Parts: sequence; structure tokens; C-alpha cells
Amino acid sequence: MIVKCVVWDLDNTLLSGVYLESEAQPPPPDPALVAAAAQLRDRGIIHAIAFVDDDPYERAEVSFAVPEVLVLSPEDMADAVGWPELSPAVVTAEARRRGEMYAERRRREQEARAFAGSRDEFLRYCGTRVTIARAAETDVPRLHELSVRTHQFNTGGEPVAERELRRMVGSAEDQVTTVRLSDRFGDDGLVGGCVTRAGQDGTWTVTLLMMSCRAMGRGVIEALLAWLAGTAARGGATRLAVPCLVSPRNVPLRLALTAAGFRADPGVPAGQRRAVFSRSLSGPLPEVPGWVTSSVAGRVTEP
Amino acid sequence: MSSDGAPEVVAELREILARATGRAELLGLSEQTPLFGAGVGLDSLTGTLLLREVHRRFSVDVAAEDLNLDALATLGTLAAYITGHAPARPAPGG
Repeated sequence: MIVKCVVWDLDNTLLSGVYLESEAQPPPPDPALVAAAAQLRDRGIIHAIAFVDDDPYERAEVSFAVPEVLVLSPEDMADAVGWPELSPAVVTAEARRRGEMYAERRRREQEARAFAGSRDEFLRYCGTRVTIARAAETDVPRLHELSVRTHQFNTGGEPVAERELRRMVGSAEDQVTTVRLSDRFGDDGLVGGCVTRAGQDGTWTVTLLMMSCRAMGRGVIEALLAWLAGTAARGGATRLAVPCLVSPRNVPLRLALTAAGFRADPGVPAGQRRAVFSRSLSGPLPEVPGWVTSSVAGRVTEP
Repeated sequence: MSSDGAPEVVAELREILARATGRAELLGLSEQTPLFGAGVGLDSLTGTLLLREVHRRFSVDVAAEDLNLDALATLGTLAAYITGHAPARPAPGG
């Protein structure tokens, strides 16, 4: 898990000396903080937090109360910037532009709030463009990053190594597909990807599907599912299957699958975490939302 | 679902849906209209907002209990699911 947030106690770390001295003994953990930690844990965010403090007592307290948090002393921190948790091996174009993208998103959200019409009308006004293309070698670092960072739209729930992604991009059996997103507010770059495999039984299986939550609510997962169903049907498949590790975190993915007509295998016992969602490819197929201009770049061949 | 949705649940769901989609006309949504597809056009974002709001207001975690999200077929099925699964609601202000 990559650390996305560093909580840094200032006393004796960034500042020399103590910024704010409290007379009292450290109180027991505030119930509100414990509740907040529980929420962060539910949403899977807690693994992405590092806590830096010079006070060993406070480090121990945080370690005890929230064991998932990476707890470091300032001296550790100097060394930790080289650790994989704190420094991705490759900084992708999307990661480099993240600050600008947040600014673009703020402008999009401000305009959305001020917009008089419905959400659909706003999305139409945005001029959303989704570009689907076969993955190239150069997409591998970003695809790996998506496999690490995406949770709400991720069928696998496990990071996929760059070596494995590179193998799949070069393989004849697996088709690796990328999805890019842009609109009038900015270019979000490569926001999603999937890996498909054609079976002998007329079923195409999406062995991995992942999308950045930044693209949520912008018609991207819908466009990708519609494209997958259409491409599989044209490739002669009769069924499209999406095996999925079901978790409280990827409910948005399940909503997208349900909306696109996928159903989990009957007989999956309640509480079972793995389910195969599938749909028939005969009859009407899911459609790309009306506000999305979807295009296929380059040669996207059937596997 | 054997039980029907309580009218106040239906009304509250209409309000949640109208807010999530920005479509005031959903305040008059019929109980038979599909929530996915042509009817309401629920997607992953509006669906997540709806499920979160349902969880918060009625203490019913539809996603945890219903793998295929069958409860989200129509406004009526969702209201019936909530009415059938909700714990007794505390008195207002309690």
C-alpha cells in the first residue's frame, strides 16, 4: 500500500523545540478520534497514512490504537523517503499532474454547483471524451499505479506487478485495454484499464478491471462496460463475465455492473467474497451514456 | 419482498433521488419506475450516494446484504426492502 498522507507532529521535528505545551498528561484516545479511525479503516484509507512524531510515547499510543498506520520517528522519516511505501518507482504523467487535476476538479465542481440544469445536462456541457485503446508498453507504469491506487472500481483488490502487466500487454491471450478521459476542464489522462481473455466456451472474461475514482460519475465505467460488451459480441462471444472480489469498498463497481445488466452467479452464499458477475450478449447491449463521446484509438483487436 | 414500502420511506427516497441527480421531477417518481436504465438512470455515483443516504437514514446496508442489488430494481422494491429490514427508528430528537 502506498502512503498518501503523512501526519507530522511539529514539535521537535520540523520545528526545533515544542510548539504548544500542554500542562496535562496525555489524555486517553478521544472517542471521536477512535470513531474517525474506524471510518478510515472501513474505507481502506488507514493503510495510506504515515504518522511522524518525535515523542516515543505518542508513537506507541498511535501504534496501539491504530496498528495499520505506518508510525515513524523523524529519523526514520529521513530514511523512509526511499522506501517503496513512500516513493513509487516511477512517477507517471498522471501523478505529476495530480495537483493541476485537483484544481481542474475544483473548477468542475464549482461550475456543477452553479449550473442550473440537471446532472446529465451538466455532463453534456462538460464535453466528456472517453478514449479506449489497446495498451502499449509505455502504459504499464500507470496501469500498475491504478492497480495499487484504485479501490472503488477494482475487481481484483490486489496490486498487479509491472512485470506481470508487461507480460500481459505482450501476450496474445490477454488483451489489455486503456481508457483515457478529458473534458472542457482538463485532461485526466489514463484513468482506467482492463484485461480480457476469450474463452473456448463463448465467454469473454474480464480478468481485471480498474478505474480511478476521479472518473466516477462521468460516464467512464459505463462507456468501458458498453464497449466491452459490444466488442465481445462482435468477436463472437455469447457471454461476458467479470469475476470480482466483493468488498464494502467496491460497491460503486457493483452498481456499475448492475446498471449494465450484469448479475452474480446464483447460489453465491451470502458473505462469499468472490463472485462472478456476467451477462448475456444477445439482445440489447448496455449503451454508452449520451453525454460521452467515446472513441477507439488505434487498432484494438480481439484477443 | 413480502411487505410493501412504508409511504414515508417512499417519500424520503424520492427526496434523496431528486437531490442526488439534481432532477426535481423525481419527487413525483412512480414506485414502478426502474432505478437503472431509462427510468432514473442511476449510475455508480448517484447509486453510491443513494446507498450511503439509505444506510445513514434507515440503518439498512443494502450493498452488504444484497449482492446483486436487486433491491434497487424500482423505487417500490427499495422502499419495501428498507421497510422490511430497518430496525425500529428512534423517536425524532432521541
